[in-house]
Amino acid sequence: MRILRTSRQSRHTSRLFILCAVICCLGLAGCDDNGGDPKQQIGANPVLPEPQQYLLPPMHIARVAQWGKDEMPTVPQGMQIHALATGLEHPRSVYALPNGDVLVVEADGPKAPINRPKDLIMGWVQSFGGSKVEGGNRITLLRAADGDGKPAIRSVFLENLNSPFGVALVGQDLYVANTDAIIRYPYTDGETTITAKGTKLTDLPGGPIDHHWTKSLLASPDGSKLYVGVGSNSNITENGIQAEYERAAIWEVDRMSGAHRIFASGLRNPTALQWEPESGKLWAVANERDELGPDLVPDYLTSVKDGAFYGWPYSYYGQHLDPRVEPQRPDLVAKAIAPDYALSSHVAPLGLAIYTGADLPASFHGGAFVSEHGSWDRNPLNGYKVVFVPFKDGKPSGAAEDFVTGFLNADNQARGRPVGLAVDRTGGLLIADDLGNTVWRVSSLHAAPAPKANP
Amino acid sequence: MRENNLSSTAKIGGHPIHPMLVPFPIAFFVGAFVTDLIYWRAPDAMWETFSVWLITAGLVMAGFAAIAGLIDFVGNRAIRALKPAWPHVLGNVLALLLSLINVFVHSRDGYTAVVPTGLILSGLVVAILLFTGWMGGEMVYRHRVGGVN
Repeated sequence: MRILRTSRQSRHTSRLFILCAVICCLGLAGCDDNGGDPKQQIGANPVLPEPQQYLLPPMHIARVAQWGKDEMPTVPQGMQIHALATGLEHPRSVYALPNGDVLVVEADGPKAPINRPKDLIMGWVQSFGGSKVEGGNRITLLRAADGDGKPAIRSVFLENLNSPFGVALVGQDLYVANTDAIIRYPYTDGETTITAKGTKLTDLPGGPIDHHWTKSLLASPDGSKLYVGVGSNSNITENGIQAEYERAAIWEVDRMSGAHRIFASGLRNPTALQWEPESGKLWAVANERDELGPDLVPDYLTSVKDGAFYGWPYSYYGQHLDPRVEPQRPDLVAKAIAPDYALSSHVAPLGLAIYTGADLPASFHGGAFVSEHGSWDRNPLNGYKVVFVPFKDGKPSGAAEDFVTGFLNADNQARGRPVGLAVDRTGGLLIADDLGNTVWRVSSLHAAPAPKANP
Repeated sequence: MRENNLSSTAKIGGHPIHPMLVPFPIAFFVGAFVTDLIYWRAPDAMWETFSVWLITAGLVMAGFAAIAGLIDFVGNRAIRALKPAWPHVLGNVLALLLSLINVFVHSRDGYTAVVPTGLILSGLVVAILLFTGWMGGEMVYRHRVGGVN
């Protein structure tokens, strides 16, 4: 009798057990890791699928490979590309000085704290897709030369910086945006190194979490203001809303006093600020949120309106609510505006150059080059290239087209990852590559090599 | 007579290891349910962080407790034949699997790391542990499993 009861009870227990196991398997199998066609998410009206939630979010990192002999990124017909400098220490952004010299900012983020068990795992997985070289925390100056296109001078311009990213020159004041402050240095034309100690203009939101650490910098045309892109301190407020104070925003800093106001907010990680010359508007690229699926949320390129709110963290592309944010803010969501131009999901745009040079063919004039660092949470991979978005009347006027590709090889291994962009004095497009530790330069095939800079 | 038959296999100095370890996962998983409840009522990310570490610690200690428990279960046919033994084992394995799912749910970012799935799983695990803990008590206090001869 006792044995009988035991077996009936255990049979009941095992049935419950099997049921639960089946439910778990269904739950896992229900996750769709594969993303759709990115082309559907490029332009003003991206297709936005329903958000998904995962037990194990899709992670797909491009493993690292080396360029073979004579291998280089691919550029359109009539263009050429060459490595302006190699062997750099994690170059993240490039800046062209008026005299033709090029500044290369070599940096990486501060060491991220381990806040949750997930941070350990994510850090480990992402380490497979990045460069093993540590950020140099410095700026290197390159001076072009006649002939072979290799720089005649390469010197350490500024060192012992704190995760720098943005650079802006106003007159003889050179501003460097470290991750935690804007520092002003005196600069004279032709200098190849600065030894003067900088002066702090203002603090910026930095550690201890500092999830999005890059601070992009742009001076207003009259030089009175500096615009700073300050990224969020989390993917989607998982570090607490108090950690997001004055983040996910573009700051407007008064150059004289260092006082600031929030110019625009709700931009999760706005990097690469640029003026569009025809409209005079401020433009930026932004990285949108992760872990809602391979096709959510598309990263974007947008003009930035004074006082506007772009949704993060509460919503995306206008009023699409993010279920992961509580308490919600219907008052803010109501006024959230959609960005101008989606670039498709998880491409990680980190560089923007609105082309004002003369070297490249006329079809590129006035349009925007956008560098896409590449996805890590999407299959198939997306990004890992520089695209061109044509502009007309100060606005995007067509589909983004590939401009520099080939950073991925046939086995989907990454040989480079484009980050910061700049146009140099002679109209060449400069591309910082923080995986290949290289600065690439794209120019027209017929163009003469970059002329010698002014002494 | 029974004392001889129901001795533990994984033991130190005659004391079975399994009951030394089980308080850890029980306290951790109950703690996670409590911090989940607090987060549900007042969503401050700190409580979610407590929960995910508590579940992680619970899983690690539950793993050790399970090893010791399974050694006793496999190592003595008389223990396996007890009425509460199978529900105790299967229930705890289920609690462990649900907690494994729960740690992934809790690794999501933001509110849905807890509400509703994480909170439900944490509560379910506590309910299962109440039952399997009682079954364990039956084995020890009624049938004297693990008693020293």
